[in-house]
Amino acid sequence: MKSILKKGNLEYLTSLFISILASLLIGALIMMANSRSPLVGYGALITGAFGSTYSLATTFAKTVPLVLTGLATAISFRSGISNIGGEGQLYLGAFAAAYVGITFTNIPGFLGIALAILAGALVGGIYAFFPALLKVKYQVDEVITTIMLNTVATLFTGYLVNYPFASSQGKMGGTEMITESFRLSRLVRLSTLNTSIFFMGFIAIVIYYLMEKTSFGYDSKMVGQNSLFGRYGGIKDKKQMVVAMVISGALCGLAGVFEVIGVHYRFLQHISPGYAFDGMLIALIVKNNPIGVILMSIFFGALKTGSISMENAIGIPSELVSVIQAIIILFIAGETGFKNIYKNWRLKKLHQGKVGEENV
Amino acid sequence: MEEILIELRNISKQFPGVLANDNINLEIKKGEIHAIVGENGAGKSTLMNILYGLHEPTAGEIYFKGNPVRFTSPLDAIKLGIGMVHQHFMLVPSFTVAENIVLGIEPKRKKFLVDREKAIKETKELSQTYGLAVDPEIKVESLSVGIQQRVEILKALYKGADVLILDEPTAVLTPQETAELFKVIRKLVDELGKTIIIITHKLQEVLAISTRVSVMRQGKLVGTLDTKDANEHLLAEMMVGREVLFDKLEKKPTEKNEVLKVNGLRAKDNRGLLALKDISFSLKSGEILGIAGIEGNGQSELVEVLAGLRKKDGGEFYINGVEASDKSPREIRKLGIAHVPEDRLAMGLSTEASIAENMLMGSQYDEPYRMKGIHLNKLKIKEMSKKLIKEFDIRTPSEETLAGNLSGGNMQKVVIAREFSFNTPILIISQPTRGVDIGAIEFIHTQIIEKRNEGCAILLISAELDEIFRLSDRIMTIYEGRITGEFDAGQITRQEIGLYMTGKNMNSSEEGA
Repeated sequence: MKSILKKGNLEYLTSLFISILASLLIGALIMMANSRSPLVGYGALITGAFGSTYSLATTFAKTVPLVLTGLATAISFRSGISNIGGEGQLYLGAFAAAYVGITFTNIPGFLGIALAILAGALVGGIYAFFPALLKVKYQVDEVITTIMLNTVATLFTGYLVNYPFASSQGKMGGTEMITESFRLSRLVRLSTLNTSIFFMGFIAIVIYYLMEKTSFGYDSKMVGQNSLFGRYGGIKDKKQMVVAMVISGALCGLAGVFEVIGVHYRFLQHISPGYAFDGMLIALIVKNNPIGVILMSIFFGALKTGSISMENAIGIPSELVSVIQAIIILFIAGETGFKNIYKNWRLKKLHQGKVGEENV
Repeated sequence: MEEILIELRNISKQFPGVLANDNINLEIKKGEIHAIVGENGAGKSTLMNILYGLHEPTAGEIYFKGNPVRFTSPLDAIKLGIGMVHQHFMLVPSFTVAENIVLGIEPKRKKFLVDREKAIKETKELSQTYGLAVDPEIKVESLSVGIQQRVEILKALYKGADVLILDEPTAVLTPQETAELFKVIRKLVDELGKTIIIITHKLQEVLAISTRVSVMRQGKLVGTLDTKDANEHLLAEMMVGREVLFDKLEKKPTEKNEVLKVNGLRAKDNRGLLALKDISFSLKSGEILGIAGIEGNGQSELVEVLAGLRKKDGGEFYINGVEASDKSPREIRKLGIAHVPEDRLAMGLSTEASIAENMLMGSQYDEPYRMKGIHLNKLKIKEMSKKLIKEFDIRTPSEETLAGNLSGGNMQKVVIAREFSFNTPILIISQPTRGVDIGAIEFIHTQIIEKRNEGCAILLISAELDEIFRLSDRIMTIYEGRITGEFDAGQITRQEIGLYMTGKNMNSSEEGA
């Protein structure tokens, strides 16, 4: 934790804090413009997110896919390769888990769960492997390929659940329910919080360790910052990028797995409301810091959960939360610019005081 | 002669985070050659950019012939007859000389069409008036650097410049071209009444050409003096702010065994053209072999091939008898070559990473920095960094500081500390003191000699002939991807080396070394 509080980080944390505050302020202005009280609104949001065991549980349930996709983005971006295809990897991973859950119904539960997790991670990883390979072999821009592969995956799984794997109840955009023994147990009554949060915790620790404490993480960081420097220092930069991308894909696949075996117990055609994109935003906001990803995911999870209560309490649409998220991003994106404006302004002030004085 | 043409009064320029010019007062007299010297980052270029209208000063005034003037763009400066030749030429390579010279103020035919005939005629006249011979119809890309510079000067003169600012004009020239340039400068001043301001960091040139010299240090003007009252020692002291001891570097006799053998090496550059054509040489322990040459004659490619960063196209090289061509950078390092790259920002460092992280590069897979598995031992890395920071006198608050926040000299010391600490039998050192201040240059040179005395074989590539002469035991010249000469240091003068660097020797009889 000490290293997080270095000077550069402190400066960043300050701007992050100001950005969040400013966007909440703008949110408040929007509420006031609609003649609603922001105090009541935000009050409802906070109670909605943290006020009871149920709301806390819901907040944390929403955190699970965000942490996984956020870490996935962090690990790839830090290595200098951009995985924008998290959503597609998530869908394929989710479908793979569902397939395991409806096919291998005779094996014991723990084995089935392990198999589902493995299958999801593998499928997600493979799906990320190809664009990475194209990138390092033929300089095909991975941003474009991964974005396009998102559509391929969502449409392909959509086809699968509506035709070959349609549930017996008809074409409702979902597979059959997975075997009961494969389902992760719920932790709090009525909420979808389940034991996947422990898996997530474990995975987060592993990824944190990998990124911050190992030669692998070091290599990734160096290649991402200056790939020529990395190659000069003996790092196999291309391999590094491919491996990072595969890990990233596997993490997104896992996010999908947990949605299936922890939340819905089946694959659904629209199983993710864009978790991978939210995860990407989170990673961008915290500059690919793994601990930052976890904290920011909880914050985003709380916003999502609380927004429903806010809507119920004062009738402000829960979409306001999306507006707030977007404004945070805008502020963070403009961070360097704002910082420069601030610094220039201070210099001007400083200088006005100095003119006329002799050589100091 | 004594008329004051330009006066800068209390000029300050503030950039975010740096006060580049701090309350500067400077007078330029008509008809003088005024040298402005200072280390990198002393604020010379900023000051001249202000005078040329590229930057507006944060405070202070400019007077031209006694009248206050305000430059908002170079056009204002050009109107008053101030011209500038930048360090990096601003020419269009695919245009002819004449087209480049008239660019922006072309003579027109029927209002819209460029009158090429007239442009060529005017260029010819111009080149005759000033005695700067150029062919107006030749394309700029086919000209040598020295001639391109001449075109730049003509361009400024065409725009009516009476005052010429030359920014580091000799940085890219051979000794011969430099002598040629100085002749031109003298002619412009003595016969044609122009005024020249020359920015440089080479003190010998200042003494050779200028009439007055101003010294800058850390954004301030330390002083202006008549060149006849100056000497190299005094100027260096003014530039650095303390006495500079140009210690004689003591070379000890060493045992010399061949450690690197290069045999008919060929390689292509990034455009796929053959940049190395049949390079052969051998490097021995305990010697410094300097490679002299104008940049872009294959030096970079040679170093990259030897470091495993570029594929060879033919030939081979051996490290201690082991074939090492086509090995990976890591394998080559293990075989015994460490490498200080020519461009520390592009290849030698990550500016976004801490000093410690930069120091670790290359050892991240080795004990004791990596323990069982892939776990990095941060404590050992910290210890090692602290030790190197101390040994190499790197000025930094801590090993956690980002490399990008260091000065050029300290950044270079990080690279040198790391590479030297591998203790390999062979060191390839490329442009070790580029953009580095005098104090650090001294330090780095001493370190290099020390390595040599310990028995390390050193291949030194530098664009600064002074550096080559100061450090080398043997000197090779490279021209268009070939070795054009090989000499024992002390057997050859700078002038002669200059000839070999431009391939001029090739038609003359084989004299041998």
